[in-house]
Amino acid sequence: MIFGIKEKSIILTNFDVLFAIATNIHVRLKTGFVLQVAVQGTVSLQCSNVRRGFHRAALLRLASDSKSDTSVPPPSYHEVHTAGESSSSSAQGESSEDAQPNTSFQDQSGEHGEDYETEEQLQARILTAALEFVPQHGWTVEAIAAAAETLGLSSASTGMFNNGAGDLVLHFVAQCNAQLAETLAEQNNQVQLGQAEAKKTAEFLKDAVETRLRMLIPYIDTWPQAMSILLLPHNIPDSLKHLSTMVDDIWYYAGDRSTDVNWYTRRAALTGIYNTTELVMVQDSSPDFEETWAFLDNRIKDVVNMANTAKQVQATGEAVVQGLMGAAITLKNLTGMNQRR
Amino acid sequence: MQRAAKCALRLDLSRAFCLEVNVNVCMLKSLPPPRDEEEKAMLDSMLRVDHAGEYGANRIYAGQMAVLGRTRTGPLIQYMWDQEKMHLEKFNEILGEHRVRPTLLLPLWNIAGFALGMILTRIEGTMSCTVAVEESISEHYNSQIQTLMEAEPERYTELLQVMLLKNFVMMKKKNRDTGLEHDAESVPGYLLLKTVIQVDCKAAIYILQRI
Repeated sequence: MIFGIKEKSIILTNFDVLFAIATNIHVRLKTGFVLQVAVQGTVSLQCSNVRRGFHRAALLRLASDSKSDTSVPPPSYHEVHTAGESSSSSAQGESSEDAQPNTSFQDQSGEHGEDYETEEQLQARILTAALEFVPQHGWTVEAIAAAAETLGLSSASTGMFNNGAGDLVLHFVAQCNAQLAETLAEQNNQVQLGQAEAKKTAEFLKDAVETRLRMLIPYIDTWPQAMSILLLPHNIPDSLKHLSTMVDDIWYYAGDRSTDVNWYTRRAALTGIYNTTELVMVQDSSPDFEETWAFLDNRIKDVVNMANTAKQVQATGEAVVQGLMGAAITLKNLTGMNQRR
Repeated sequence: MQRAAKCALRLDLSRAFCLEVNVNVCMLKSLPPPRDEEEKAMLDSMLRVDHAGEYGANRIYAGQMAVLGRTRTGPLIQYMWDQEKMHLEKFNEILGEHRVRPTLLLPLWNIAGFALGMILTRIEGTMSCTVAVEESISEHYNSQIQTLMEAEPERYTELLQVMLLKNFVMMKKKNRDTGLEHDAESVPGYLLLKTVIQVDCKAAIYILQRI
């Protein structure tokens, strides 16, 4: 790089800057560059025609080089350039963490190309395509490799995914949750607009969980493998996050606005229901998973019953306490302890 | 005992002057929707702490009422308590709207607040406790206000109004109470008590922001 600058400055030293201005070449020079030119000794004005031509050509090359010069310094932008035609390189793996700054950089330098997509978007595309190969290859890196090939990329682009099959499963879970959230929001909209009736809580929960579990049906044969992948220690934080977001979404659209311990108990209950129903579904062989939905129904009824029972117990408890207080005061009156002496 | 009751009464009377200001707090609208993950996390923890604070204040008043409910100061405490209940409802609404998780320590806060309320009516150093607590909370609100102002004042105007009002109320009170605090300075171990309370408040705020 330094050599390059020096080279270019040598070309310019024996040359009058007036020539550049006269020929209207817009050279994007950095300040340091100009200084170097100024510093480099003698400006001789010997100009033979050949030399003039040579210098003109050199300046043109300089101009085009400078333009590409200014675009090289930010390395992450360079990554974006090469992301489109991804041959696996370690740089790719490193820049997968730069996905976040890439997005904003992309926005700023949109003028340089409309077809560039970010690292994240490319990964998402590959993983979505990989889902089609899951029944064949299972939740493995082979599925991702097969998908990369169908997209016209090298199968070595699986190097982009540090977590391998885990990335695929987490992507699928996130996709399902997003779909569920959309469906619930849509239903909520319809209720708000008065086009549909609001469901009761139990029914709403049942429908929401069923909708979400039905998204697993195409992959149900390989789902046990996916579940075990989600249970790997390095995947647990992410899978828990997805699970808790999903449960929070469902309760939010079910109308829960509690701000006390109920917030936690409700979500814990629904998490339990969802997980157990998922397990039942995986080994269910009835037509259209009827047994699973029946199981789900029973569990939700259980939870609702428990909530009602809890309320009853609390009310009874309060009544009993009141009764005892009344009895105590009566006793004190009877024994004359309440009188002032 | 009587001095504590007198202090409580003076404390409450001085707060009574600030009632009008408090009422306005409750008629504010809520926040704009968060822009991204970071902002949501920041707002989450701020709202969680504030909600827990309101809840705790509620329980403290409940504790005070349990002891002083049938005395002269009863109605005044009840009045203050009702104001706090309105604040708490407001925060409940905000939490529900923005899907903020309430703190897991609420049951603990429930009991602790109630116990503290009962204790506050009994001990001689009530004023020093109150001043120490108000100082910590005022500092906490100040830092929250600073954070919001640094981020983008225009987005959070309503929330800032809430906090500034509460801060202002507390500072006015503190100025009035500082005089009374001198009475409490005669209590042995006053400095120790004050430090302990301030450290407790800071620890509580730290934990509540996370859990």
